[in-house]
Amino acid sequence: MTQPSAPDSIRRHLLIFLSGSLCVMILGATLVTYLVALRSANDAYDRSLLDPVVDIAANIRSDGSGARVDLPQKALEALTYDQLDTVIFQVRSERGDIIDGEEELEPPPAIPTGEHIFFDSTYRGAPIRVAALHATNGFTVQVGETLNKRNRLVREIVLAEFVPTIVIGAAAIALAWFGVARGMRPLEHMRAELLGRSPRDLRPITNVTVPTEIAPVAEAFNGLLRDLRDASTLQQRFLANAAHQLRTPLAGLQMHLELLLRGELPTNVRAEVERMHSATVRASRLANQLLALAKAESAPDQGRPLEVIDLKAVGDAAARDWFSTAIAHKIDLGFALERAPIEGDPVLIPELLDNLIDNALRYTPPGGAATVSTGVRDGAPYLSVEDTGPGIAASERSRVVERFYRVPGTSGDGSGLGLAIVKEIVDRHAGSLEIDTRGANGGTRVRVRFPPPGPLAQKPSPA
Amino acid sequence: MSATVATMRILVVEDDKLLSEGLVSVLSRAGHAVDYTASGKYADTLLGQESYDLLVLDVGLPDIDGFEVLRRVRARHSPIGVLVLTARDAVEDRVHGLDLGADDYLTKPFSVAEFEARVRALLRRNAPPETRVSVGGLTVDVAAKRVRVNDKAVDLTPREWALLELFLTRPGRVLSKDQIAERLIGFDEPLSANAIEVHVSRLRTKIESAGVLIRTVRGFGYLWEGGHE
Repeated sequence: MTQPSAPDSIRRHLLIFLSGSLCVMILGATLVTYLVALRSANDAYDRSLLDPVVDIAANIRSDGSGARVDLPQKALEALTYDQLDTVIFQVRSERGDIIDGEEELEPPPAIPTGEHIFFDSTYRGAPIRVAALHATNGFTVQVGETLNKRNRLVREIVLAEFVPTIVIGAAAIALAWFGVARGMRPLEHMRAELLGRSPRDLRPITNVTVPTEIAPVAEAFNGLLRDLRDASTLQQRFLANAAHQLRTPLAGLQMHLELLLRGELPTNVRAEVERMHSATVRASRLANQLLALAKAESAPDQGRPLEVIDLKAVGDAAARDWFSTAIAHKIDLGFALERAPIEGDPVLIPELLDNLIDNALRYTPPGGAATVSTGVRDGAPYLSVEDTGPGIAASERSRVVERFYRVPGTSGDGSGLGLAIVKEIVDRHAGSLEIDTRGANGGTRVRVRFPPPGPLAQKPSPA
Repeated sequence: MSATVATMRILVVEDDKLLSEGLVSVLSRAGHAVDYTASGKYADTLLGQESYDLLVLDVGLPDIDGFEVLRRVRARHSPIGVLVLTARDAVEDRVHGLDLGADDYLTKPFSVAEFEARVRALLRRNAPPETRVSVGGLTVDVAAKRVRVNDKAVDLTPREWALLELFLTRPGRVLSKDQIAERLIGFDEPLSANAIEVHVSRLRTKIESAGVLIRTVRGFGYLWEGGHE
């Protein structure tokens, strides 16, 4: 089973959404902080900017020759001194004439008498903040300063706010990441559960805790599994019934043909009847094999419970069942049976061995030998059948377990189902099937290894 | 050994016409008196009234199934030999059938030779012990424990005699060395697989000229082919 790549991932969607939202929120928060900081800076510095305005306004003297600021140069310098910013002042008469201070300062907007305002302006192209007072004596005093201090304060405030915001944002994204991963875990478990299953395992998903959000999915899936199981049970039952129903008429046919062959028959008729007989036997075998396949394919929890079986006893029974067939094929069928207990299906394990022996007798030329062995090697019970037949080429070994596949050019009347049945049964018992060539004469050896019996009742999860 | 099988009464219960005709034909040709029915109920009635030596019983019958017929037969404590024919799952039916008291079983389809061998074995089992068996050139006087090969007396040791007796009761069946050892356990020392080989080989040498064949099943045991029947 291949793991599907994730072109559309809930996790990615969630993460992109959450990260995007967080970024917008951080930007918004920063903007708000900036505006608040700007306002605070203006509030703080505007008040101190008003002081020299009031002082200058209070010291305007007017006489016949005109008006002027009556302050010594040093005092004026002290009033407009600042470490960081350039501070400038300007005094205008009621008519708007500049009577003292910097000439390049823009005229202020209209101010009611006795009031003061603060506003932004420019001085020699640079932005400045201006405090202006329309004094009761009619003069308008403006003091402007560049924005260095204010900008520094704003920067400091924004920075002081921004760093923790960024940290909190990053933490939120990380938490979201983990949270999503955590939230997705039941899905991961479900996926692992399903991927770890054998294709025949159609039991409903029950051993995974399913959160309410995906419970409908799990339910729908279980429903589908149930339907599949029903369909597969139905199909197997049909196959089994069909095979059963075929057996009886085939038995009758075979019996009559055999009785016919016992009597006197013209040579050409005898040859025909013999062909009919062998076709009948083949059809019977096919019916048996289809039945075996149906049994081997049924879902693991639908078959008989596994029992402890000794492969030696299965070999013993095979010796009794197969020896006369071996004599008829002129093949020396031998046995090397040692105790080998496994947990297995009491019907399918003999079926497995029958198919292996049948193949060996079928494809080994007369005069050859076949040997059935059972035992325990390296802790694993095994069953093997080797013969002195033509062997199976390495390139064919993976294909011979396919249904109805027959090695090209082989004689014999096999159905091509034998090894497919063997494979099904081996898989069902979590065993391993090994086909190789043995000895100088190059016969086939098929070896099946089983897991050792014991506390194996619970199949270990393949994770 | 055909000479020792007298005419027996056999009831065949099988609902497939083709197969039952074949079975009846085989058994009649062997010289038996054969009755036939396709109904489990009727078979049960017949079995209650008549005295048969052997019942050939199909499991899948249209009215009551073969297992039920068998259960009723054994409930009457009838000693009749029962050969069950099954088209269903061989192992399950076999276990169930043997539990209910079947003597043997055959899975469909089967060869005529196989069927005949099973019938012969069952009839022999229920027949009175044979006193004289002759196979090919071999003549065995069971009661007197005397063996003649081609009309010449042959002396057998007690173990060889026990082996021969065992083989004669299981013609055509593979016997494992374990089974043979179990059978010969009455002797003073337990028999190893090697010892069995030695005894079989001696028995073989003594009787082979009679045309009987004891085949070796490599690594497993022996098969008494029993010559021509």
